[in-house]
Amino acid sequence: MNAWEPKIIAFLCNWCSYGAADLAGVSRLQYPVNIRIIRVPCSGRINPKFILGALRHGADGVWVSGCHPGDCHYIEGNYYARRKFALLKSLLEHTGIEPGRLHFSWISSAEASKFAETAREVVEAVRAVGPARHFIKTKPTWDDIEAPVQAACQVEVG
Amino acid sequence: MNSSGSGNPMVGSVLVVGGGIAGMQSALDLAEMGYYVYLVEKEPSIGGVMAQLDKTFPTNDCAM
Amino acid sequence: MSEVEEVSGQPGDFRVKVRRKARYIDLEKCTGCGECARVCPVSLKNDYDMGLSERRAAYRRYAQAVPGAFAIEKRGTSPCKATCPAHISVQGYVALAAQGRWREALELIKKDNPLPAICGRVCHHPCESACMRGKVDEPVAIDFIKRYIADLDLKAETRFVPEIKQKRDEKIAVIGSGPAGLTCAYYLAVEGYRVTVFEKLPVLGGMLTVGIPSYRLPRDIIEAEIQVIRDLGVEFKTGVEIGKDFTIGQLREQGYKAFFIGIGAHECKKLGIEGEDLQGVYPGVQYLREVNLGNRIFLGDRVAVVGGGNVAMDCVRTALRTGSKKPFIVYRRSLAEMPANEEEIEECREEGIEILTLTNPVRVIGENGRVKAIECVKMELGEPDASGRRRPVAVKGSNFVIEVDAVIAAIGQETDWACLTPECACSLSDWRTLKVDPVTLQSDDPDIFAGGDAVTGPATVIEAIAAGKEAAVSIHRYVRGEDLRRGREKRWEAVQNVPTEGYDRIPRERMPRLRPEERLGNFNEVQLGFTEEQVRREAQRCLDCGVCSECYRCVEACLAGAVVHDDADQVQELHVGAVILAPGFQPFDPSVYDTYGYMRLANVMTAMEFERLLSASGPTMGHVVRPSDHKEPKKIAWLQCVGSRDIHHCDHAYCSAVCCMYAIKEAVIAKEHAGRDLETTIFFMDMRTHGKDFENYYNRAQEEHGVRFIRSRVHSLEEVPGSGGDVEVHYVTEDGQVVSEVFDMVILSVGLQTPDEAKKLAERLQVKLNDDFFADHSSFDPVASSRPGVFVCGAFQGPKDIPQSVMEASAAAAAAGSLLGAARGTLVKEKEIPAQRNVYGEPPRIGVFVCHCGINISGVVDVRAVAEYAKTLPYVEYVTDNLYTCSQDTQEVMKKVIREHNLNRIVVAACTPRTHEPLFQETMADAGLNKYLFEMANIRNQDSWVHGMDPAMATEKAKDLVRMTVAKVALLEPLPEPELSVIRRALVVGGGVSGMTAALSLAAQGYPVDLVESGPELGGQALKLNSTWRGEDIQGYVKELSRRVSEHPQIRVHLNARLTQVEGFVGNFKSVIQNGGDPITVEHGIAVIATGGREYKPDEYLYGQDPRVLTHLELDEKLRADDPAIRQARSVVFIQCVGSREPQRPYCSRVCCTHTIHSALEIKRRNPDADVYVLYRDIRTYGERERIYQEARRAGVLFIRYSLEDKPVVAATDGALTVTVTDHILRRPVRLPADVVTLATAILPNADEALAQLFKVPLNEESFFVEAHAKLRPVDFATDGVFLCGLAHYPKPLDESIAQAQAAAARAATILARDRIRFPGTVARTNPFLCSACGTCVAICPYSAPRFNERGVAEINPALCKGCGLCVASCRSGAIQLQGFDDAQIFSMIDSL
Repeated sequence: MNAWEPKIIAFLCNWCSYGAADLAGVSRLQYPVNIRIIRVPCSGRINPKFILGALRHGADGVWVSGCHPGDCHYIEGNYYARRKFALLKSLLEHTGIEPGRLHFSWISSAEASKFAETAREVVEAVRAVGPARHFIKTKPTWDDIEAPVQAACQVEVG
Repeated sequence: MNSSGSGNPMVGSVLVVGGGIAGMQSALDLAEMGYYVYLVEKEPSIGGVMAQLDKTFPTNDCAM
Repeated sequence: MSEVEEVSGQPGDFRVKVRRKARYIDLEKCTGCGECARVCPVSLKNDYDMGLSERRAAYRRYAQAVPGAFAIEKRGTSPCKATCPAHISVQGYVALAAQGRWREALELIKKDNPLPAICGRVCHHPCESACMRGKVDEPVAIDFIKRYIADLDLKAETRFVPEIKQKRDEKIAVIGSGPAGLTCAYYLAVEGYRVTVFEKLPVLGGMLTVGIPSYRLPRDIIEAEIQVIRDLGVEFKTGVEIGKDFTIGQLREQGYKAFFIGIGAHECKKLGIEGEDLQGVYPGVQYLREVNLGNRIFLGDRVAVVGGGNVAMDCVRTALRTGSKKPFIVYRRSLAEMPANEEEIEECREEGIEILTLTNPVRVIGENGRVKAIECVKMELGEPDASGRRRPVAVKGSNFVIEVDAVIAAIGQETDWACLTPECACSLSDWRTLKVDPVTLQSDDPDIFAGGDAVTGPATVIEAIAAGKEAAVSIHRYVRGEDLRRGREKRWEAVQNVPTEGYDRIPRERMPRLRPEERLGNFNEVQLGFTEEQVRREAQRCLDCGVCSECYRCVEACLAGAVVHDDADQVQELHVGAVILAPGFQPFDPSVYDTYGYMRLANVMTAMEFERLLSASGPTMGHVVRPSDHKEPKKIAWLQCVGSRDIHHCDHAYCSAVCCMYAIKEAVIAKEHAGRDLETTIFFMDMRTHGKDFENYYNRAQEEHGVRFIRSRVHSLEEVPGSGGDVEVHYVTEDGQVVSEVFDMVILSVGLQTPDEAKKLAERLQVKLNDDFFADHSSFDPVASSRPGVFVCGAFQGPKDIPQSVMEASAAAAAAGSLLGAARGTLVKEKEIPAQRNVYGEPPRIGVFVCHCGINISGVVDVRAVAEYAKTLPYVEYVTDNLYTCSQDTQEVMKKVIREHNLNRIVVAACTPRTHEPLFQETMADAGLNKYLFEMANIRNQDSWVHGMDPAMATEKAKDLVRMTVAKVALLEPLPEPELSVIRRALVVGGGVSGMTAALSLAAQGYPVDLVESGPELGGQALKLNSTWRGEDIQGYVKELSRRVSEHPQIRVHLNARLTQVEGFVGNFKSVIQNGGDPITVEHGIAVIATGGREYKPDEYLYGQDPRVLTHLELDEKLRADDPAIRQARSVVFIQCVGSREPQRPYCSRVCCTHTIHSALEIKRRNPDADVYVLYRDIRTYGERERIYQEARRAGVLFIRYSLEDKPVVAATDGALTVTVTDHILRRPVRLPADVVTLATAILPNADEALAQLFKVPLNEESFFVEAHAKLRPVDFATDGVFLCGLAHYPKPLDESIAQAQAAAARAATILARDRIRFPGTVARTNPFLCSACGTCVAICPYSAPRFNERGVAEINPALCKGCGLCVASCRSGAIQLQGFDDAQIFSMIDSL
């Protein structure tokens, strides 16, 4: 269990946050290796289904990042994204998804250090809540299951 | 190729001196208008002073 | 990196000379990886960060710079390198030493000097004499730095032995093993030759060994450096005398292909005086040789050494060490002329050796055949001789005798030429040196080369080394039959303009030495060598004279081979039709304000510097800290008008127009960065927030952000002693009180000025500048310079903000386009693209290209493993890895591979799609594939560069990213790029100056225009204006403009007309014009909205009740009519901001202050005795308009400020009109009698909701049209194909309206110039079967792309869609897909996580 490393999917808008991720690279800012970035044209493109889909496929956390308010390349897509995300987050929390799994940020294409910093925070927050269990559709192997759960299962099976 | 007025042959290219925001905008417009554009900039890259600004008024947009 | 040198010719046909400066990095090859900067040892102030951070000599201005290629900054060759006979990159190894990069430094030295440990001890270091640090304090101790670097290598287990380039069979003979011979042997061995060194003496090293005593140059040092040469495979033969044991002829027969003679000058010159043959008289070099070969010679106690060179010093000190009690020097000139090293002279002194200067021996006196005494004469200095030194002349009768035991003659050496046997053709000079070509060192025998003392006469070690190196180059060329001279006559010129001001004085490090008493009786090395700390400190004193140190580390670091150190400037001649000048501005340097203490006070900085401090990409990454102690400030003040509106300090009469706004912005942003408890204060005179939405911004800064504004003049800044840098601001309030307040930081809001370079440019191009050094221009043609065909824009035309600059830039493009309309399209070519292969229905065949990016990716990620892994993924048919996937040759390979392997999808795992996707997509198109069948995996910027510490995990991540990308690419479909034809006609709505200007500009560019005016005549508001602030006649201008528009064959004017219907979209509009008769339908590709504005009619200040209360335009009318009521008025009062800057209409109308002052001056001109009052809130004569404000004050116009809370009151009592206003300085009400009251009323837009609806373009709260982007697209609408200008956009004066109209025409022309418009394929599409017609997409799309079609379902117009995907994510029926980013494609990436 010690080897567990969170897997996080990040949806970044092409114009700001993806640019910040690129610039973090140019500036050689180091951040944890756990994040897999999916580029989308605008944070407004992100369908709540993607977030659910990511959780279902075993992502331990999801991070959505777009342009600062007012800076959207498409005028106002990021406002819609924020609205959708806020709704989804509270809904998911309602169903038992820990708040620490879902993250949202505004990062402009010049804010490389903010990107790296947020990446670290996201990874730490997800690490703190542990492996995702809800929604995972793929069958976990026995070893994937935490000891207390294993014990509980064995009791039930027994 | 002859303009109606002066009778001089007109050359379909334009030289733009300065690669700041104004020079870049001129160059882009001219290129899209169908002219060959030479952009001359003294620094190794274009962008001018605006590339040094953080945010711009009055919208607080990122200048980059 | 270019500049324009000259423009000749005429409008439409100019010849331009452009100098392209050397970049030293090949733009085509550079991949922007930054390895060159990483290894570059030279740091300098980063001007991009306003000097607040450092950059390298190899640099890119900023991370996102375009082009992304690096450049190397060179000022020239550093004096040390230029002066050094061997031209070692001295600055380079000093810079490397400063960073402790010893091995790299050593390798650099050894490129030009194989004997640095020797040189580090005995070199006469002309580099230090040339060192510019000497102008500051003392030269850098270059030689000792070199010695340290070299000594480290001697101590190392593995000495640096250079790699032999290529083994060769040719044999070369080197005769003489001194520094020249050793060097020649070294470089020939590196080239791969079989080299044999022949030495006459039993020991190697020549003069180094037998001429220089070992306390100066220990034998093991020489031996160690010779060992490296041995290790290179050079064979040494000692005790072999050429000319005796072998002749050169014999060696030729043995197969030696070339010879190098470096036999030195070991024979002593004679004193040429009586008694020289006596026993006890020794030639200096012979004496040293004997001692150095181990023969102990005791000379007796008193030894006279004659001479002033290093040999003399060596002899006298050797004598001391071999037991002589009192050896001394006899030298005929003065101490200043002594050729010996200063250090040696000093060490002599330390050892108690007496130096008799201005003394010359005339006779050696003997007894029994042995020396007994020496007779000398005193000398004095006469006229300078051939060497430039003053010739010593004997003083008559000053002879004296000194008793001595021995005399050593050390006055010079010459060469023994026994080696030159008759088969040699080479000849000797009059000085008995060998004659050789000065460049190639070739003698009269083509295969014999020579150098060192044998050629030059006794000279220095470093000159011998230089000769050895050059001879090696010659021999290498000679053996291969190449031209010996080509490219070798380089003139070494040291850089001249090295700044030596502003450096702290740092003393040179002192060489630790053996104490004098420890030196006696032994030959232990006297100079002990620097410590590492000393070397580093000393190296850091270097001034980086050449900027680039030419250490060549970048050459090795750049795997792309892009560094070109011998790049040179190139002058190119261009042929152009027009020239646009946009050289911009520079921030004012506030150092001239001594009371503000800029540069003196650490925490006083310019707004430009603060801008960098705020920036996320700046020196502190956006963390606001003050420079003195890096503490977060709690209180920051801004000082306005620094370098603006000030003719006392800087002769800048103008207002810079942008500082008020940027100061407010910085205050607001600083609070965002540093937290709300940061107190921000702006000290100002007039707050000039006259642009669109500026006043709102100002209000919000006060009310929401709590920025404090203090109207005052600041007279000085002082540092609070002991505070760590707090700054006390002393200022005077409006009512004359002197107040002081302490701040943590003070920001100087510096103005804009034309840079010197731009002034020179204007001079070269014969473009006239005005008194403020901005480009001279007319209000009616704001982008035309004084030279026809040369246009100006941006801050070079006048101080202005970004949107105004962007507008003018487009306007200049339009002006150039109007000039060159006939030649449009003649020089641009459409690229030919091969037909696309149809891949529909084919199973995916994916090619994966994994990039090493030099070492940028492969240095961390196991690229081969990623490539192997990619082969296992579904549908992958071909995988390869490349050093640089983006290189030209790889693109060719990629095209071939696509065809040969019949690939239909491509993945490139490399850097970022944001920079490289277009390149690869072009390659795909060239290979006949649809460019949308492509995807990149970002394994550099988002992997190897950010996970350098964790190669294993980074490799795993790279695999994941490739897997996700492959999964997505398999699902990608070829996307068509829809093309639509463009109707090349324009529609302009509004017939005022803006509309007419736009129409004329478009017509001049060759496009027919329909101009729709709602009124009965053309001209708009300008018909009511008299003259511009510069005094240009508006009436005449408008009449002429109207005539040109009416008569233009390409313009159709519709008066009393309005639009009733608009359909279509960019390129294809169809509109209906109604003008009373039959409706006219016009088709047009674009539309310009220029519906203008009008004057606000107020209901306050007795307007409409008393005929003496007028608006601006009414006053103008009366002035035109020369109304006696105005001419005879004794008192005229202007009230500003009537209907502007009030809660119900918060914007500033921008033109009123200038208009009022212009009118006030006119009244004063007509009747100088009239009292003219201007009641104002802030005077906003921005830019150069400030001049007429100053003029009005000089003319006696009285300015009285009032506040919004305490507005003036206009009253009519007993027929007399009075205005009562509270004077802010006197702080009490003042009653002004008024014959005329003029109200500066607001400008209102001609709000046209219906028009806005027709074109689906937005209006703001105040009914001005809203442009696409306030800064960057000021004349565009978000809706493509519709443009905006004039008062409909925002209140503005005539010149700005004209510029904006031209800009709109330019932007419109970018569409009309094309036959067809191609739209990107990545747009949204609806599935009509799934659409539930809920209307969400129609409602949220900012571009009005979706609409309901005739079947009642949503349809998206690909011409309007921008591909953001907002509708896709919001469609509740799942009926919309975004091509290229559809749900299935994104899910495929998620699924394969």
